[in-house]
Amino acid sequence: MKILIVEDEEGLRESIEEYFADAGNICETVATYQAALAKIQLYRYDCILLDITLPGGNGIDILKTLKAGGFPDGVLIISARNSLDDRLQGLDLGADDYLVKPFHLSELKARVSAIVRRKMFNGSNVLNFNELSIDLMAKTVTVHGVPVKFTRKELSLLIYFISNKGKVISKNAIAEHLWGDGMDMANNFDFIYSHIKNVRKKIMEAGGKDYIYAAYGMGYKFADQ
Amino acid sequence: MKLSERYNRVNLIATIVIMLITGAIYYLAISVILTNQIDKSLEVEEHEAFDYVKLNHRLPQVFESKDQQITFTPAEPNSVKREFINTGYYREKGASEAGRGLISSVTVNGRYYKLQIVESKVETEYLIQIIFGITIGVILLLLLVLLITNRLILSRLWQPFYSILGELKQFKVTDNSDIAPLNSPIDEFNDLHQEVTAMAERVKRDYKDLKTFTENASHELLTPIAVINSKLDTLIQTENFSPQQSKLLGDLYGAVSRLSRLNQSLLLLVKIENKLLTDQQTINLKELIEELLYQLEDIFSDKQITVSANFEDKEITASRYLIDILLNNLIINAVRHNHQGGGIIVNLTAEALVVKNTGESMPLDNERIFTRFHKSSSSEGSGLGLTISKQICESLGYQLGYSYEAAHHCFVVRF
Repeated sequence: MKILIVEDEEGLRESIEEYFADAGNICETVATYQAALAKIQLYRYDCILLDITLPGGNGIDILKTLKAGGFPDGVLIISARNSLDDRLQGLDLGADDYLVKPFHLSELKARVSAIVRRKMFNGSNVLNFNELSIDLMAKTVTVHGVPVKFTRKELSLLIYFISNKGKVISKNAIAEHLWGDGMDMANNFDFIYSHIKNVRKKIMEAGGKDYIYAAYGMGYKFADQ
Repeated sequence: MKLSERYNRVNLIATIVIMLITGAIYYLAISVILTNQIDKSLEVEEHEAFDYVKLNHRLPQVFESKDQQITFTPAEPNSVKREFINTGYYREKGASEAGRGLISSVTVNGRYYKLQIVESKVETEYLIQIIFGITIGVILLLLLVLLITNRLILSRLWQPFYSILGELKQFKVTDNSDIAPLNSPIDEFNDLHQEVTAMAERVKRDYKDLKTFTENASHELLTPIAVINSKLDTLIQTENFSPQQSKLLGDLYGAVSRLSRLNQSLLLLVKIENKLLTDQQTINLKELIEELLYQLEDIFSDKQITVSANFEDKEITASRYLIDILLNNLIINAVRHNHQGGGIIVNLTAEALVVKNTGESMPLDNERIFTRFHKSSSSEGSGLGLTISKQICESLGYQLGYSYEAAHHCFVVRF
């Protein structure tokens, strides 16, 4: 994936860059409106992470420029302004998704992966990972070509893991992904555990490998080690 | 006590007291004047008697006329002092009346006589009574007229005051409507209205500033929270943590997510109050609640909570975002404050949504549960959930109420 990060907050920009800079991913970063404008005129990206409030201008204008130029880059708006107007305006103008600060990097990665997948495979949206194959449209999972029944939450969890493969995902990030951020119950970590147990069991019963590792009681990691 | 009532009372008492005093003075003056008149007629009679004695050298014949009696009685020389007296007037029929008398003396042919002339005062008193009666009548009429005009004039005069009062009663700091203009010829009321209007504007501006501050502060907080969050996410990728370190990281995550939720709640409150969330769409409440209950299934089963739901179809037009938050808050509250193996009842009818749950067997304080940052010591929430729910309901024109019925805490949203 080739990704452009337009974010003026240095700490956040660096974290995103580091999280995304994996094998096969190219990350470029800019901090200002003008620099972002210069980049999008010259290069094409699979996904642009666009902050709305930028020094020198408004991120929405960059989105307008992109769409006016007919560029196919995916756009994910990241904004501190959880205003519905911004969200609607952004999506109306052709942004692919909208994420409100603060967010977990794993959530950002999952959203970006979804955008890139949609751009790459028009329509037939299948996510493959070794012997696992997930049809994102039909919401079905096969292991070694054999269909396995997953509940909605388990499926959502599996996709989240595959999007963040090789990364440690905190329990908080998983909980917010599955139940939304309205959930703030201390014991929801237990539910995560039971969902993960089910996912692991279903994959292994169908002959798949165990890819989910617990990471020091803080979170989980999905990796092919 | 109303102002006009108070004013009337004072007015009435003062008027009555003054009227009584003037009445008494009036009565005294009239009776003095009339008595003087009688006295004069008595003196005339005395002179007549003297003249008669001087001319005829004998006592005049005693006769009775015009309610006048003259008597002559022999007396010791120079024993009688001339004076006017109040006395009785005895008619032949035996009835006695009030009378005025003059005692004098006359010497006829060397013999000394006491002369007493008595005149009935009946006529005079009758006159006084009539005059007094008419006066009282006039006074009463005057009072009545005064009372009526006072009442009419006062209520009309105070009309601007009551209209300002009405405006003040309806004044809401969150409302956008201004104090209605006032047309009054009275300077005091115009002043009052001007000051009230200025004060309302000041209060609204201050409130708006405060809200802007809250909003800005929350916005400014978002970025550092986002940085902390992302740094934590990056930190845990470095792996090889000791159990102690991972425990610390877990606590940090918990605190940051709590901070960010609190911040979002504050922002949300400001937005609801500012009516910034105005997107309207048709929402099928039944579907939405069913979806939410499905979402929270694990949480119910973890606490072994039995959920019984009874839905009628209900469609509303509102902001989807707000309704999501409202439902989420109500149902998660019902779980959070429930005990192991408890129950939740969700009823949806065309008129109301009722969420009941078992829990502590003590009614909650109806006044305080909806205030900001009020929460039980055992609660893990932010203390803003119910405040937000209440605000959402108010902004949509619904009513959110709480009651404790048959060991269930009931929250009712009336559409």
